[in-house]
Amino acid sequence: MFEFLIPPVIIFLLSFLDIEKVKRFMPIVGATMLVPIVLSFGKGDINYFNHTFLLNDLAKYILLVSVIVGIGISLALISLDKHVKISKNAYKNFYRFFAIFWMGLTLSILSNNMGIYWIGLESATLSTVYMIKTNSSLSAHKEAWNYMIVGTIAISLILFGIILIYASAKPLLGEDAMKFSVLLANIKYIKNGYLFEIGFAFVSVGMFVKMGFFPMNLWLANIERASFYPVAALFSGILESAIMIGFFKFSSIAKEVNYSHLIGFGFLYTILTLFIVSFLIYRVKDFMRLFSLSGIEHMAIIAVFWISGAHFAALLHFGAHAFLKPALFVSTGVLESGGKYHIAGALKGYKDFKGKLFVFIVGLLMLAIVSLPPSPMFFSELYGFGTMINIAKNSNHLILMLVGIGLLLLFLAIIFYKFIEVYQSMKYDGVSKEKKVYFSELFAISLYGVCTAVLLSPFAFAFLRSI
Amino acid sequence: MVDFFIGLFLANLIVSLFTTRLYRLLLWYSLNSLSLGMAALLIGQKLNDTPMMITGIVTIILKGIFLPYILKFLSKKFKLDRQVSPNIKVPYSIILVPAVIVFTFYLTEPIVSMIGGNQNYVALSVAAMFLSLILMLEHKNVAPKIIGFLSMENALFLLGISATGGMPMLIELGIFFDLLMAVVVINLLFRKEEISNV
Repeated sequence: MFEFLIPPVIIFLLSFLDIEKVKRFMPIVGATMLVPIVLSFGKGDINYFNHTFLLNDLAKYILLVSVIVGIGISLALISLDKHVKISKNAYKNFYRFFAIFWMGLTLSILSNNMGIYWIGLESATLSTVYMIKTNSSLSAHKEAWNYMIVGTIAISLILFGIILIYASAKPLLGEDAMKFSVLLANIKYIKNGYLFEIGFAFVSVGMFVKMGFFPMNLWLANIERASFYPVAALFSGILESAIMIGFFKFSSIAKEVNYSHLIGFGFLYTILTLFIVSFLIYRVKDFMRLFSLSGIEHMAIIAVFWISGAHFAALLHFGAHAFLKPALFVSTGVLESGGKYHIAGALKGYKDFKGKLFVFIVGLLMLAIVSLPPSPMFFSELYGFGTMINIAKNSNHLILMLVGIGLLLLFLAIIFYKFIEVYQSMKYDGVSKEKKVYFSELFAISLYGVCTAVLLSPFAFAFLRSI
Repeated sequence: MVDFFIGLFLANLIVSLFTTRLYRLLLWYSLNSLSLGMAALLIGQKLNDTPMMITGIVTIILKGIFLPYILKFLSKKFKLDRQVSPNIKVPYSIILVPAVIVFTFYLTEPIVSMIGGNQNYVALSVAAMFLSLILMLEHKNVAPKIIGFLSMENALFLLGISATGGMPMLIELGIFFDLLMAVVVINLLFRKEEISNV
């Protein structure tokens, strides 16, 4: 298990050296994490420390996605100082807390224990606070405190829920009640189903607050706006991955307790979130908030697909979002280089080959994130909504489900309209000024693009269907 | 005796809601943590639960002594404003606090009926969580917000020991580790220009 933690530890240690000399080695160190993950694909489920950590197919997939995102971000970090003003010390500290963040979330993803899952999430939350602070602006200072307070309230709600879930199962399972796999196998024998459901509701609300769901739709967008762009990329690629794997595990157990409660709760929350987010996106005026709010939209879709039983669609959508969104956030760093963030003409002024390639990839990313074919998101939504209708056919709620899907599609159409408008404005409006793109960030964006394309391959589909 | 310490735990939290001086607030937090640690120690002794007793001792040392000391040191180092007036006036708080506690007893009734052990402690821990949230909300200054966050962590710890008969030792130690990390981050976050209002 330690093979997954050694690369972040090395990044942490390297950050104490001259950062200008060592920053090029960081992506290589991060990439070494791919070796044990790739090797683990040939084996079945691997457990560590008496099932405290479990590397099953779901964890392998999410860990692989998060590691690729981590490698891409460490690539993009090489040229961070070319786009923003950052002191040498803050640059070092960013790497240091990035490593702690990565370690914490790797622990959360691998964890089969609710408590350790929470500890990983909490350490990632705290390390993010300082990453926000590396931007020396006053708004970043305020948002760092804001994140500290709201983030810890959210994480406390999750812990509160975990305690209630543990209390509901401990009389039957003892200390093993902390383990997801044991809880899932024995949930039918637990008498306190109501207590479990209350615990699950608290856990879900805590997770939803952390992801910016209703009613906390703007706090995350404001924080991402105030901080440097790699923070937003880390949020969308790694932090949300870790939260989502937790939601997948908790909701799988809740499904066994009372499926109709889960469906009702999940749908209501998702539709409310999408309702608010679609109109917030419609009014948005800068890239960072646009992509941040779009992240909330995609997380809501993934959650609703998962609880509807469309696991393949949820995982495909999850993977595509985890690659596309960090790529867009890294692109935002380039587009807003020097603190200018005008949407109009943002894609103009890139002259050389690197610049033209960048414009081409950003165009593809923008169209892929709104689910235009052949984006994996197009297929995931097709499969997801199809599964939702199939499930409703076997129940008495077909009309209700169709109304729900209709509402979701309506909100997605508003978001689609806004993205296309923004893309057209980036391409055709405004004035042309010469801009520069660096190799490292272009490499990072290309890596994410290639990984998104790989998700469409037959073996990726087969693997996702097997989870 | 456990009842006495749990009562003291709640009393210290209630008093901290009315406090207008920073060092006094740190003292109430320290006493809040000490009484919680003592309660955990006594419950652990009663149940013959060594991990809970260890957790109680760690709570006394870490939260009762170390954290308040560090926070006082930081507040001196960064010259924090020692006048921390709450936004909610004291007469209103006097009405609000009992209302929250009574409301919590009704709110938690369906939950506590399913939990073994002392059901009143569960209701009190949820009440303590609400009161900690009020502490965070009623202040503009950063320091009382931090105390509110730490008090909320104490409330969750009480819920853990009362509702579940103690969380696994590994988890408790992990939470303590995160708490230490929070202090490191708070230290890094403190800078003169942002101390006044957030």
